[in-house]
Amino acid sequence: MKRIALLVAALLLLAMFAVACGGTTEQTVEEAANEAAETVEETANEAAETVEEAANEAAETVEEAANEAAGEANCADEGVVCVGLVTDVGEIDDKSFNQSAWEGAQQAAEALGAAEVNYIETKDAKDYGANIDLFATQGYDIIVTVGFAMGEATAAAAGTYPDIDFIGVDQFQSETLPNLTGLVFNEDKAGYLAGVLAASMNESGTIASVLGTDLVPPVVAFNEGYKNGALSVNPDITIIDTYHPGGLDVAFTDPEWGASTAQQAIDQGADVIFGAGGKTGNGALIQTAGNEGLWCIGVDTDQWETVPEAHPCLISSAMKLITPGVVDLATMSNNGEFPGGNFYGAVGLAPFHDHEDAVPQDVKDLLTATEAGLQDGSISTGYNPG
Amino acid sequence: MTTASAPGNRGNGARWLRQIWRGISVPLVAVLLAGLIGAVLLQISGANPLQAYGALFKGAFGSPEAIQRTLEKATPLIFSGLAVAFAFKAGLFNIGAQGQLLIGAIVAAFVGFSIEGLPAIIHAPLALLIGGLAGALYGAIPGALKTYTGAHEVIVTIMLNYIAINITDYLADGPWKDPSPTNIVARTPRIMPSAELPIFGNIPLGFIFALVAAVVVWWVLYRTTLGYEIRTVGLNSSAAQYAGIRVARTIILAMAISGFLAGLGGAVETQGIVFRYQPGFNAGLGFDGITTALLGKTSPFGVIPAALLLGAMRAGASQMQFDAGVAKEITDVITAFILFFVAADVIVKWLIRQRESDDEQVVLSKGWGG
Repeated sequence: MKRIALLVAALLLLAMFAVACGGTTEQTVEEAANEAAETVEETANEAAETVEEAANEAAETVEEAANEAAGEANCADEGVVCVGLVTDVGEIDDKSFNQSAWEGAQQAAEALGAAEVNYIETKDAKDYGANIDLFATQGYDIIVTVGFAMGEATAAAAGTYPDIDFIGVDQFQSETLPNLTGLVFNEDKAGYLAGVLAASMNESGTIASVLGTDLVPPVVAFNEGYKNGALSVNPDITIIDTYHPGGLDVAFTDPEWGASTAQQAIDQGADVIFGAGGKTGNGALIQTAGNEGLWCIGVDTDQWETVPEAHPCLISSAMKLITPGVVDLATMSNNGEFPGGNFYGAVGLAPFHDHEDAVPQDVKDLLTATEAGLQDGSISTGYNPG
Repeated sequence: MTTASAPGNRGNGARWLRQIWRGISVPLVAVLLAGLIGAVLLQISGANPLQAYGALFKGAFGSPEAIQRTLEKATPLIFSGLAVAFAFKAGLFNIGAQGQLLIGAIVAAFVGFSIEGLPAIIHAPLALLIGGLAGALYGAIPGALKTYTGAHEVIVTIMLNYIAINITDYLADGPWKDPSPTNIVARTPRIMPSAELPIFGNIPLGFIFALVAAVVVWWVLYRTTLGYEIRTVGLNSSAAQYAGIRVARTIILAMAISGFLAGLGGAVETQGIVFRYQPGFNAGLGFDGITTALLGKTSPFGVIPAALLLGAMRAGASQMQFDAGVAKEITDVITAFILFFVAADVIVKWLIRQRESDDEQVVLSKGWGG
């Protein structure tokens, strides 16, 4: 039996590396000349056939790949636009940042008649740079990188590849590079709109916000805007705002804390809850949905799509409009008007969805007027970072 | 091949071939089978398997940069694989390589960023050494608990992994946090240039260290008294005790050396790749040491090709996504199948009809009985 095992191995190896060695194989099998040898022969022949087939297929694939490669090489050509996107450690269909940015990249690619639009999902945080390089070395013209964590790798790549324009979603730039623009947002404005909506829908005189950590400036901006927006509607309103006490590792992934904190606020009379802080905020939304006659407001994206459990209370979400921001910046890049530094994307409230009829027309008008006022600067959110 | 070219030496040649075959048959067939299953999965998911594997190969070996990436990914796996393999020789299943690696990584980062003005020739080895020693200390804990209280090292090391994660998270977000004003995330400051490990051409120095470590581990295991004692305890601790080997000391020492290797892996990762400690950046490197060690049949030299294979799959994964549009998880699935077939080697042996087992076997459950 040992001998057979050895033979099978040797034959498999032979078959793998040199299909042409059929003669040698048969000789060896004849030497063995017993029942097992037949098995060996069959195996060898089968293996040889498989390898031959595989070789043919491989040849075809190589040809295809070569053709494709030729197509991709066009990215380096003048006038051919290619758009690439690298995700943070996360999925392209996360119904949040990565997905919004990818939709933006696709829309931009269509609008600009791009030859290629492609993405890479980052598996290992150490590969940010390598993944950007994959696009850069193929001559891609615009590379979108998603998330604060990729800021350093993106800035380094922008230095290495001065001819490529980089869009860093949620990456605030403290230094200005001409070919790197951070797509950032005035979270305080989105929060302000949410506050106006909350105070308008409020009946009890108390509203609340359940937040991720105040270590992250955008979270603070959301909350300050929210409070000032609510006070602008009702100067006497009581606002219970609670930040998660933990560090960055847990502050956004603690739905249980979010739920219990929301319930505490509800017990103290709050009837509108603003949940701003990833899964922690989602916990607050879902908890609020479990109570009768309350409203809740989501954050970042339209959470009607991401937290269906919150539908009973989810009246709107304070959104960062990542998709149009990416489209705008990609278009500017294509027109040779890439701004560099920081570009403030639009913010706004998500649609009311099923609660459309619950929002009175005068509240809708107030929100429209507030949005216009925030845009032209006649309304200040009162938030002053730093 | 060899037998044909040396007819006078036929017997020896065959035996030599057979020994090699014995060593590599199960892992080799496991890899081939996992590759085949991966190909089927790729086909089902709508990608062309050959194109995908071609892209994987290109991303892992297609250019000097790709080869460097492969070596960089393989380096920590060699260390953690050696750590697991070494403990295995003493009959211990060190699931705690992850925790020991994290401790080594953050301590090396601390030595790297906190000491200024040392020349590189002193600073870099010092950080490596202290990182390794921290891992050794952390590895010795389950060894000591096993010998003095009878607590099983599998349970203790699993729990110590969580403790290590929380210690490092605390340090990186607390006393050792990067104080620069632009930083809002949990991470240590960047290490001094004098603590960084250089890259020669496309060969990272850390990879060379990993190869040296494999040779040293082999030498300790098979050419020293300590190694003999460790292997004897691993085969039968009661017999070892009877023969006059101090079993308690041997077990603690074996776990400490295992922890040293894992800690060294973390230090090399910090000093050669990340240049700071940041939570999440070393995720899984220690756990994958178990995969590496099993795939390498717990042999110090078997660990190297095993780590290179796993490293290559990681290095090529992005290229595969890019060229073939394959989900990044497919490499994890293939790795899991490789591990499955190696661990369940009965299946593979049945497939290749290798029923004899006169060689040293990888027995997963060894040690459970105490």
